Amino acid sequence: MSVPAAGGWGRSVAVITWPFRHGLRVPGGRLIGQVYAHGAGLVAAKAAHCAALGEVRMTMALADDSQASVSAAARLSGVHYQVRGHSVFKDLNLSIERGKITAIMGPSGTGKTTLLRLITGQLQPDQGQVSVDGVDLAALKTDQLYALRQRMGMLFQNGALLTDLDVYENVAFPLREHADLPESLVARIVLMKLQAVGLRGAARLMPSELSGGMARRIALARAIVMDPKILIYDEPFAGLDPIAMGVVLRLIRNMNQALGLTSIVVSHDVQEITALADTVYLLSEGRVVASGAPASLHNSQDAMVRQFLTGGEEGPVPFHYPAADYLQQMLSQEVPQ
Amino acid sequence: MSVLVDWLEMLAEQVRQWGRFSIFTARLFAVTPRALLRFRLIVEQLNNTGARSLVIIMLSGLFVGMVLGLQGYDLLRRFGSTEALGTAAALGLLRELGPVVTALLFAGRAGTSLTSEIGLMSATDQLAAMEMMAVDPIRRVCAPRFIGGVLAMPLLAAIFGLLGILGAYLVGVVIMGVDSGQFWSQMRSSVELKDVVEGIVKSVAFGLACSSIAVFEGYYAVPTAEGVGRATTRTVVVSSVAILALDYMLTAALL
Repeated sequence: MSVPAAGGWGRSVAVITWPFRHGLRVPGGRLIGQVYAHGAGLVAAKAAHCAALGEVRMTMALADDSQASVSAAARLSGVHYQVRGHSVFKDLNLSIERGKITAIMGPSGTGKTTLLRLITGQLQPDQGQVSVDGVDLAALKTDQLYALRQRMGMLFQNGALLTDLDVYENVAFPLREHADLPESLVARIVLMKLQAVGLRGAARLMPSELSGGMARRIALARAIVMDPKILIYDEPFAGLDPIAMGVVLRLIRNMNQALGLTSIVVSHDVQEITALADTVYLLSEGRVVASGAPASLHNSQDAMVRQFLTGGEEGPVPFHYPAADYLQQMLSQEVPQ
Repeated sequence: MSVLVDWLEMLAEQVRQWGRFSIFTARLFAVTPRALLRFRLIVEQLNNTGARSLVIIMLSGLFVGMVLGLQGYDLLRRFGSTEALGTAAALGLLRELGPVVTALLFAGRAGTSLTSEIGLMSATDQLAAMEMMAVDPIRRVCAPRFIGGVLAMPLLAAIFGLLGILGAYLVGVVIMGVDSGQFWSQMRSSVELKDVVEGIVKSVAFGLACSSIAVFEGYYAVPTAEGVGRATTRTVVVSSVAILALDYMLTAALL
């Protein structure tokens, strides 16, 4: 069964019901199947409502269909970026392929989160170009950038849930801000997203009552509530127990497949990324030092790649921070300045 | 030489800070009309900044009025005109003490709360998350808090003045024995509308200053525990100086 041409909403219904259409049997599953069956109606309602609101926000040529011809969902060309005189990126070039899961890996402090902030337009490069869907971010005005961001979702390292709102309101937040939908429709969309991450029962909990893994999943539900085309994950596995890590990993994979998303995952969890990503970029000292399929990186003989993948102490990334001669410093008995 | 360089760097930083504040307040004012439409958010912030400051404002108003009653009675007794106590207390509270003390208390109670709340939202990536959801944090977070503060200040100053007059009455009339009729009649005959307006103008100005400083410091707080702590302290210090400087200027202009 397929949902009629309905853009993001059709994909949304498809992903919510995906587990149930692939054999998952849980209480309420039938109801969700029925929602899917009536997906066309729901989608039509949303479409009609949006049309009625004149919700055409894009003020420039960001048309969905024309972008399909642009192969890269995001591209960084010759990017230089400095923070307080310290160079974070030096002539960085990379391309995020549409519809794939791309992982950005690298030792701590290599600017992985900074890279995400460049892709989302929260930071501007000192030199070079960052483009998303073929559009140079530097050429966009604030409202155009915000319009573009409505097509992107981001999962922050700590979830970044709004602490004064409960789970339900957190997930409903983008809908309330961007679409004047009837409360009954908001409720259905929010509950569907929460069901997709397995936390429909936690709708009325406050963020302070959630575990780290639950907060991450709620943040994921919020990130997909506007049916984005690009989903960005900043360290989605950091600080999670193995069960929560497995849940988040499966969610990322399933979301990407069912929604046809482009996913960008920043992480240094080698095993998880190997299992998840289509393409990996390994960053070090502001440049891409290796890229390709995870398997090809495992076969690499490059010293930096080997050290990173095996977690070795010896290699291009030194254990010791640059310092004066150890013996000399110990003998001099001077207090470090 | 290095002292001169340090001094110049400090000056340059102050100029940068003024520039940031000017741009921030311009953005704040620009989004205020749209933020006014979000009535529920403003009511929430009126509750946060106004209603939750009521106890401290009422208690302070009562005690300030009682001190004013006591000092005023002692002073006026020397000139044999204790019946003017009502006028003295009302003018002092409406024109000066009410707006100024309310604003100082507001900066300490609500201003610090606004700064630390916004600063912590920034430190925990909540503001960045809003930007990623294509929601302007200045419009969604700062503007309702700013408007709530500006609306709350004159209301709190009025309540402060009311409780202050009650405190002066308690001390002057009930304890010191000033004639009740003279206390109220002298007050009614001497206090004019322009005195009330002066108090309202001052409290609105203080509300604009305190609220914008509090949200600015929170928004630009360094996103660490130490940074938020410093920003909170700066809110109290900068707001207090701004209130007293503005008070002098407004008094000179409105006299």
